[in-house]
Amino acid sequence: MTVASTTSDAQRTMSFTEIGPAQRGSRSDEVVLAVSPAFADFFTQTIVNIPHAEVIRQILAGIEEQEVAARVIRVRHSSDLAVVAHTAAKLSGSGIGIGILSRGTSMIHQRDLPRLSSLELFPQCPLLTLETYRNIGSNAAQYAKGESPQPVPTLNDQMARPRWQAKAALLHLKETEQISKGAKPVEVQAEFSSAAPAALS
Amino acid sequence: MHRTVVGVDIGNSTTEASLARIGPDGTVDYLGGALTRTTGIKGTVKNVDGVVKVVTRAAEHAGVGLGAVDVVLLNEATPVISGLAMETITETIITESTMIGHDPRTPGGRGLGVGTIVAAETLSDQAPGEPVIVLVAGGVDFDVTAATLNAAMARGIDVVAAILGNDDAVLVANRLTVPIPIIDEVSRIDAVPVGMLAAVEVVGPGQSIRTLSNAYGLATIFGLDAEQTRTVSPVARALTGNRSAVVVRTPSGDVEDRPIPAGSLELIGANRSVCVDVARGAAEIMAEVERVSPLADVAGESGTNTGGMISTVRQSMADLSHHELRDVKIRDLLAIDTLVPQDVRGGVAGEVALENAVALAAMVRTRDSGMQAVAAVIAEQLSEAAGRDITVRVGGVEAEMAVRGALTTPGTDTPLVVLDMGGGSTDAAVLGARGDVQAVHLAGAGDLVTKLIDAELGLDNLELAEGIKKNPAAKAESFFHVRMENGTAQFFEKALPATAFARVVTLSPEGMSPIPTRHSLERIRQVRRTAKERVFVVNALRALRAVAPGGDLRRIGFVVLLGGCALDFEIPELIADALAPYGIVCGTGNVRGSEGPRNAVATGLVAAYA
Repeated sequence: MTVASTTSDAQRTMSFTEIGPAQRGSRSDEVVLAVSPAFADFFTQTIVNIPHAEVIRQILAGIEEQEVAARVIRVRHSSDLAVVAHTAAKLSGSGIGIGILSRGTSMIHQRDLPRLSSLELFPQCPLLTLETYRNIGSNAAQYAKGESPQPVPTLNDQMARPRWQAKAALLHLKETEQISKGAKPVEVQAEFSSAAPAALS
Repeated sequence: MHRTVVGVDIGNSTTEASLARIGPDGTVDYLGGALTRTTGIKGTVKNVDGVVKVVTRAAEHAGVGLGAVDVVLLNEATPVISGLAMETITETIITESTMIGHDPRTPGGRGLGVGTIVAAETLSDQAPGEPVIVLVAGGVDFDVTAATLNAAMARGIDVVAAILGNDDAVLVANRLTVPIPIIDEVSRIDAVPVGMLAAVEVVGPGQSIRTLSNAYGLATIFGLDAEQTRTVSPVARALTGNRSAVVVRTPSGDVEDRPIPAGSLELIGANRSVCVDVARGAAEIMAEVERVSPLADVAGESGTNTGGMISTVRQSMADLSHHELRDVKIRDLLAIDTLVPQDVRGGVAGEVALENAVALAAMVRTRDSGMQAVAAVIAEQLSEAAGRDITVRVGGVEAEMAVRGALTTPGTDTPLVVLDMGGGSTDAAVLGARGDVQAVHLAGAGDLVTKLIDAELGLDNLELAEGIKKNPAAKAESFFHVRMENGTAQFFEKALPATAFARVVTLSPEGMSPIPTRHSLERIRQVRRTAKERVFVVNALRALRAVAPGGDLRRIGFVVLLGGCALDFEIPELIADALAPYGIVCGTGNVRGSEGPRNAVATGLVAAYA
């Protein structure tokens, strides 16, 4: 799968508008995407400076390309990826949810799984590209349809840990500061704003 | 005087023993049996460890101790080994990019669009009026693509369809003001010829295209005459079953489904020999094999795929049996038609076509099995362990022993045929009413089935194919239930492993293992069953015809299945179905009424000794 390599309109921004408490979905052809407390809020980009707007846009595009519906929620009471992703899965009509942290770490979860398990885990956030995010959305949607997608191919770099651990720890600390204890997850609407995309030619 | 004897059958994978006490009047009293893994290759001195172990265990099991054993009987191994090869005999070639038939998983929009192909970059130079199909390179964002198409439509350009490099078809279709059919994931978009008339068709999920897969549909769209329609008909055929497709009208473009010169086989019989072209398919080859039988040897036309195939088989068998290459004579051949997925040459989107292939299994007769040497070492070691002399005898041909053992199955009588289908070869023996035994060894058995499954599903993993062959499949629909092949659901108390979720799994006794492919449960089941039918059922009938009195299957009373295939979950049923019209009683053996399809040779050895 290929994804736009040039973000010619790189200045695309996104904001989440709260539209009420997150409810459990009833349609079985949906995937719920849960973002962490500080995602596209206190933070605006991942650990490797990919804009959150582009990340969300690609995950939602991956889901839409599979002709599956998507809802976005914000988890406010935890910065733990397993909690974020499992909350999404439990609220999803299909039982499939995606969780993502501000630094970019992501996970596809299913509601019947133990919280600390997952369908697919993407632990090395510095190595995730927009193409990976598109594939994560696409795979989650295929699971929701009962299909058997090939797990998303990811890179593995032993040096990622020593190289990025300090920054990741700092980002995690900052994200954890944004937690509001006991707050229920809220459903949000992603609104992208940019100049109307320039047509080719 | 009573004598205690142990019959030992050294098989390719297991060594089995059967212990009995034989009375002075020849009455046989079976006391026990045992089974262990064969050590080393069958017929070599390495077998001794396994034999000593199994004899000791059988003695323990019978409660008599090794010291009581007088005689150990060994089988003379079947002097055959087999080899396999497979070669495709057709290939599909697309010339001048006449079509894109790669069937992307998520095409966008619906309908049929016919127009001239125009690159998206030059769309602004396009004058309104003429219908166009827009070509968008990979790497262009879906919002940009949609905006470009919308802007063009707003200017009055008649955009009827689009071809994309990205996997963006649904995304773009959802953002268009006027819906059009869109094909995506065309990896070599640069190879699509611009300025040509083309047609794009997309239909809903679960349906297949109607117009582009119909030769007259293509003739109508492109205004073809009878002769031109004849040349495009392979295009239509190649697109059958797709959900979406593009056909481009190029001056001399074509899709060829052409046979590869596969070469011929020379079948040398005892009395006559014939040459048969492999490209004519398995049915013809098998008819010739039957005509020249008994087969003395087979040669492949040198410099062709067939020649290579035969020499590979010959070489591998020479290595295995330590024979000189010229001593390896192919005594039986099983040819099977198959379809294997192959990349299409000249395709622009990674198209895959099912190509015809022929799989060959060959059987070679080897010289003596070297069992005498093994017997001497066994005698030495057992006598030492028991503290007294134990005689070891090599007694009788394996097939004869098997048929005698099979006769201990309750409800059988002569004339009785045993079918022993293992990994490499199919062995059959008939025991006539007067006690005469006749045996036949044919090429092709379990290993060939594994190879067919591997090739037809495009797995490239024999271990996985073996797993699919041996076990029923199911689809894990949730973490707590699987849907079985017959449509019933099985529920679990404990959650299934995450790796099994949403996948087709094989249900082996050790547990569930996921099959990492996109093939549906139905497809896997169908490939597995047809592979078994084409090898086991075909060979069962071939073997029975060879041993039946006068070649008449109706004169066989009973067929007993032994060996690996008899333990399979569906092969006995497939064979029984095929034999039912001949009024034959067919079933899995139950040696001595207690051992199932195992231990037949070991039991037969004892029975023959008594």
